[in-house]
Amino acid sequence: MNTNYAQLAGKAVLDDKSRLLRTLVLDALEGGGRGHLASALSLIEIVRVLYDEILVHDPNIPLLPQRDRFVLSKGHGCLGLYAVLADHGYFSEELLQTFCSFDSNLGGHPEKFTLPGVEFSTGSLGHGFSVGVGMAMAARLRNEDWRTYILMGDGELNEGAVWEAAMHAAQHKLDSLNVIIDYNQMQASGTSDLIVSLAPLREKFVSFGFDVSEVNGHDILDLVSNLKKQPVIKDKPKAIIAHTIKGKGIISSETSSAWHHKAKITKDEIIILRRELQAS
Amino acid sequence: MRQEALKTVHNLAKNDPRVLFIGSDLGAGTLEAMRKELPQQFFMEGISEQHIIGFAAGLAQEGFIPFFNTIGTFITRRAYEQVCIDIALHNLPVRLLSGGGGMVYAPLGPTHTAIEDFSLMLSIPGLQVFSPADANEMKALLEASMNDLRPYYIRFGKGGEEIVTSNFINFDFKPKVFGLEQSDIVMCTTGVMLQKCLGAKKLLEGIGKSTTVIHFPYLNELQISDRLEIIRNAKSIVCVEEHVPRGGLFTQLLHEFVKVQLGTDNVSHISLPNSFSHKYGSQEDHLDLHGLTSEKIYKKISVLNH
Repeated sequence: MNTNYAQLAGKAVLDDKSRLLRTLVLDALEGGGRGHLASALSLIEIVRVLYDEILVHDPNIPLLPQRDRFVLSKGHGCLGLYAVLADHGYFSEELLQTFCSFDSNLGGHPEKFTLPGVEFSTGSLGHGFSVGVGMAMAARLRNEDWRTYILMGDGELNEGAVWEAAMHAAQHKLDSLNVIIDYNQMQASGTSDLIVSLAPLREKFVSFGFDVSEVNGHDILDLVSNLKKQPVIKDKPKAIIAHTIKGKGIISSETSSAWHHKAKITKDEIIILRRELQAS
Repeated sequence: MRQEALKTVHNLAKNDPRVLFIGSDLGAGTLEAMRKELPQQFFMEGISEQHIIGFAAGLAQEGFIPFFNTIGTFITRRAYEQVCIDIALHNLPVRLLSGGGGMVYAPLGPTHTAIEDFSLMLSIPGLQVFSPADANEMKALLEASMNDLRPYYIRFGKGGEEIVTSNFINFDFKPKVFGLEQSDIVMCTTGVMLQKCLGAKKLLEGIGKSTTVIHFPYLNELQISDRLEIIRNAKSIVCVEEHVPRGGLFTQLLHEFVKVQLGTDNVSHISLPNSFSHKYGSQEDHLDLHGLTSEKIYKKISVLNH
């Protein structure tokens, strides 16, 4: 029987760590009064597992030469990345409250030169994959064994350059490249089925020459188990379709597309979001 | 010029493993010698310029120096955002080798003619824009680029251009002066229009008009401050470029003139029109149509009031 990952993602229960990370996201959201909340909440467990369990990295030496490279190609999910980086000590948690302020290191999209731990500046969608192909090729040319991880949004797959990158990654047999899709099936304007259907997504990546797996993107154990078993198939880049819920963990953001991106967020709204997080 | 450029990339790659060549389906035999000798440093990718520029950025971020060659418009138009964000925003040492500058690809129509490439590329913060005049200068530029890790955009000519920069062995970003410090006519130009201007200079001098040509191979900062006297002494200053009138050398010159408080009453320009061409033929046909041959430049300048 086929696993209904979307259903599992919906039922996934958040542990204390995931709640804490979401609290940090809300701290930043409150500080900035704006942000892509729901996009961040769908990817938190993925980024958490990467930094907790998978990536070779050192917060004290952000540019450690042998570090694994992680690019958040869906840069608008940066609140989730910021929360995880702060949790790992890349910068003080207090900095989160400066989100989007004039002199802050934390912009509405992540920037390499302003924040330690950000590998590549992203924001405009569809760039990270190609850059990751270049990074993975660099590791091969230098005969180094670090790996490259690219986290993309599913809406981002609408961009044509993504599929150029996919063809080239497979052509070069870059098996140190891992592309993770935050497959929440929602875009800014509604469900992806109604905008540009991505189905059958697994088959798409298989046909492009990837070793494809699917995972519950909110299940820590499932994510760890999936991301640790690499490479499954030699000479193939890996695509991990992480089934997620946009806005996961806060009911307002799970059910209203208004929380894709919101500005002028009031203190009262933040109070409601925090209450809903506690109740989830 | 292109052949010399690719040969130079090959030679640089022999001595420096950071140097990579990337092409986008450029045709059988392109840099075959490098492909055979240094296969790890040679990439012939698909027709996917947006991806390739991101790919090059990823490589450059990890310490490589990729030289990417394709037709100019596919870099400047199709992949503008990748050039801007992946390369320039990250200040990465990717060298964009832009084939067919200006009207080189005139027979292929307006999708292939890079008539506004300077404008597009000069508008990107941090991207260094070059237009060498011949194979000699191209080679010197590429060799010098190894000491500069900023991103480069380099416009190529058609190839086979007369070598006119032999006196300049090293590339130093500065304008190159052909003629006397004091002339009635000063032509300012860039790229392969230098040869056309030198031809016009000869014709003008034949009728007793003293003429100096200043070639600007580097377009971001024209560095005219130590050449001010030549410009100040001129009765007529004419900018000649194979580019639309806005956003290229002429615009850069006007900015510089304002900066150093030079008047512009005696400044004019000869350029491509601000329109797409629907004629084909050859590059020379178009240069002739728009007054960019030596003879036409001469004729236009000879009747100016000086």
